[in-house]
Amino acid sequence: MRKIIVLFKREYLSAVKTKSFIISLVLVPILMAGSFVTFLIMENNQDTTDKNFLVMDHSGLVTEVLQKAANERNENEIYNSVSGEKVLPAYYLEFVSPDYSDPVQQKIELSDRIRAKEIHALIEIGSDVLHPSDSTDKDFIRYYSETGFMDNVRGWFSNAINNHLRMLRVEALNLDPGISSSLFAWTNVEGMRLADVDKKTGETINAERANELQSFIVPYAMVILMFMLTLMSAVPLLSSVMEEKAEKIAEVLLGTVTPFQFMAGKVLGGIGVGLTVAAVYITGALITLGNLDLGNVLPTGILPWFFVYLVLYILMVGSGMAALGATCNDNKDVQSLQFPAMFPVIFPLFVIVPIISNPAGPFATTLALLPPFTPTVMMIRLATPVTIPVWQPVLGLLLVILFTVFSVWVGARIFRTAILIQGQKPSVGNLFKYAFRN
Amino acid sequence: MSIIELENVTKTFGTVVAVNELSLSVPKGSIYGFIGPNGSGKTTTIRMIMKIFYPDAGTILVNGKPHNGQRLENVGYLPEERGLYKKMKVQDVLQFHGELSGGTDLKTRIAYWLDLLDLKEYALKKVETLSKGMRQKLQFIATIMTEPEIIILDEPFSGLDPVNAEILKDAILNLQQKGSTIIFSTHDMNMAEKMCDNIFMIYKGHKVLDGTLSQIQDQYGADTLKVQTEKGVPALDGIKGISKINNFGKIQEIRIEEGTDPQKILAAVMKNTPVYKFEITRPSLNDIFIRIAAPDRKEVNHA
Repeated sequence: MRKIIVLFKREYLSAVKTKSFIISLVLVPILMAGSFVTFLIMENNQDTTDKNFLVMDHSGLVTEVLQKAANERNENEIYNSVSGEKVLPAYYLEFVSPDYSDPVQQKIELSDRIRAKEIHALIEIGSDVLHPSDSTDKDFIRYYSETGFMDNVRGWFSNAINNHLRMLRVEALNLDPGISSSLFAWTNVEGMRLADVDKKTGETINAERANELQSFIVPYAMVILMFMLTLMSAVPLLSSVMEEKAEKIAEVLLGTVTPFQFMAGKVLGGIGVGLTVAAVYITGALITLGNLDLGNVLPTGILPWFFVYLVLYILMVGSGMAALGATCNDNKDVQSLQFPAMFPVIFPLFVIVPIISNPAGPFATTLALLPPFTPTVMMIRLATPVTIPVWQPVLGLLLVILFTVFSVWVGARIFRTAILIQGQKPSVGNLFKYAFRN
Repeated sequence: MSIIELENVTKTFGTVVAVNELSLSVPKGSIYGFIGPNGSGKTTTIRMIMKIFYPDAGTILVNGKPHNGQRLENVGYLPEERGLYKKMKVQDVLQFHGELSGGTDLKTRIAYWLDLLDLKEYALKKVETLSKGMRQKLQFIATIMTEPEIIILDEPFSGLDPVNAEILKDAILNLQQKGSTIIFSTHDMNMAEKMCDNIFMIYKGHKVLDGTLSQIQDQYGADTLKVQTEKGVPALDGIKGISKINNFGKIQEIRIEEGTDPQKILAAVMKNTPVYKFEITRPSLNDIFIRIAAPDRKEVNHA
């Protein structure tokens, strides 16, 4: 044990005392916060260049209304009510009559004007738009532009035109205009959390509205954090063990320590690094959220799970990486192994969205009980507001412990043999031979 | 009393028999030299004694105890391949190795040995800034600083200049005086002759020599002549009874055929050239080594 501690201490200090470690520790949150701030700035800094539109109204129903809506918008909505600063672009409409003799040629000419940036888009309204039916293909509203799909101006036209068409339909029914507002009222289904009783005080807790931050960002942040910690602590063991083998440091140390002690010291060093970074980031997150009055967003109840899973995950991945590192002779070998070795670590990142959207579904549940994916996938599920039956994280934990014991055992056997063998390629056959042959 | 005992130890790698039924007994407190050509099984034998490799057959007792799955305690090991963490400071490397060996009073020991081997001013430098020879000395200190009971050195002198080799030799002898048993492998026959109480030679996995220098030389008898003449090698041409000439330039070492009278050789040489020196001697370890490892080499051997 003493030797493992000495090895751990060296491994930990050599990782933590480097400038690159300290820089990355500081830089990562800065970059993350930076991208968030950039996003906010971008969102507030809309393009305020005025836009010209062409409207071709086959129905003859919406020309006046659109002009009126555009005028109102240009007068009332594009300036900040407090500072008077212009925050949105003004919309200027130009109405064109359809050329029925050569409609294609007219489209091409108008499109050329759009391409020349003279106008932003052409809106074409079908003649049967008031009474759409399956038997006609003239009930459309079309938006021609260079950025048609992404352009959110479409929404403004859609609203203005449809609201007017609805009013026309109501009028045709001779209903009291007073009820028309409630006729089209649309009520969204609100996502709520569940009502609960505070276990300590016995007070009832009213159900609160579920928010984006809680349902999406927290689980997302948790899994990214776990991925990042593994990347900083366990994955580097692949190349560091290779270096120790290539530079014959392993041979020197193996006179004094057993391969198992050597590997244990290294993997424990990795765990130390992971826990250090986790402690720094989570404390930072708790303080920041506390200051922003968002203290209740982070489900602190899952933090013990996070640390338990994190330790096991680094142990599992770290022993695998150390074992693979022992089979490599140079950087080329490391590069060829890097992707296959990283795959189980990266895979959960590809399925974050389906898991977050249905954390209790069969896909998420199955994946969460497959040991290589349990730590990350179970954390995503635990971090969502959905109730996960307690037996699942417990079973997941047991399976992870069993799998970790197995991977450490296999890793140690591969490590023990491979660390002194020079010139053998890390092929699957060799790995199997090292692991299971005496 | 033997501190290390090997009995009929065999180790194979695939189809290659690296060490074949080797038996060896290292007396406590002695300096035991391992010699043999490259790839003959020296390092494998050492690794088996260190319990890094398991023998396929036979037993190895260290301090009377067989292998128990743990590393040997109180044994210092300098492997043939040197390896140090390049980014660590000299002092920290020694502290690390000292702690691994369970040493006490490490600060004093580190200061003492760095001073003794002229590395004091490099204590706070990183390993990567040291020359090859300095790294070698540093690795040596890391091996012996806790003055372990058994010290195993694989090629401790390779790559060292004569001054540093001398410093290292004195340090090894000093450790022996303090009670350590020392095994070292070397290609430097001169050093082995001067330092070792016992010499063991392994060739193609087999033990071919084992004993004191004098015992080994006795096996080969007084069949060697050292001559210094005016003409050198040409003066020895065509003389009957010479089986091999080792040419050192100024001096030639001659091996004579069995039953040949050295005086007749002297007379024959004197006919060809003035003789400055003529000495009947036992073969050197170097000569014995070459006789075993390269028996078929050509007549005149420019050593």
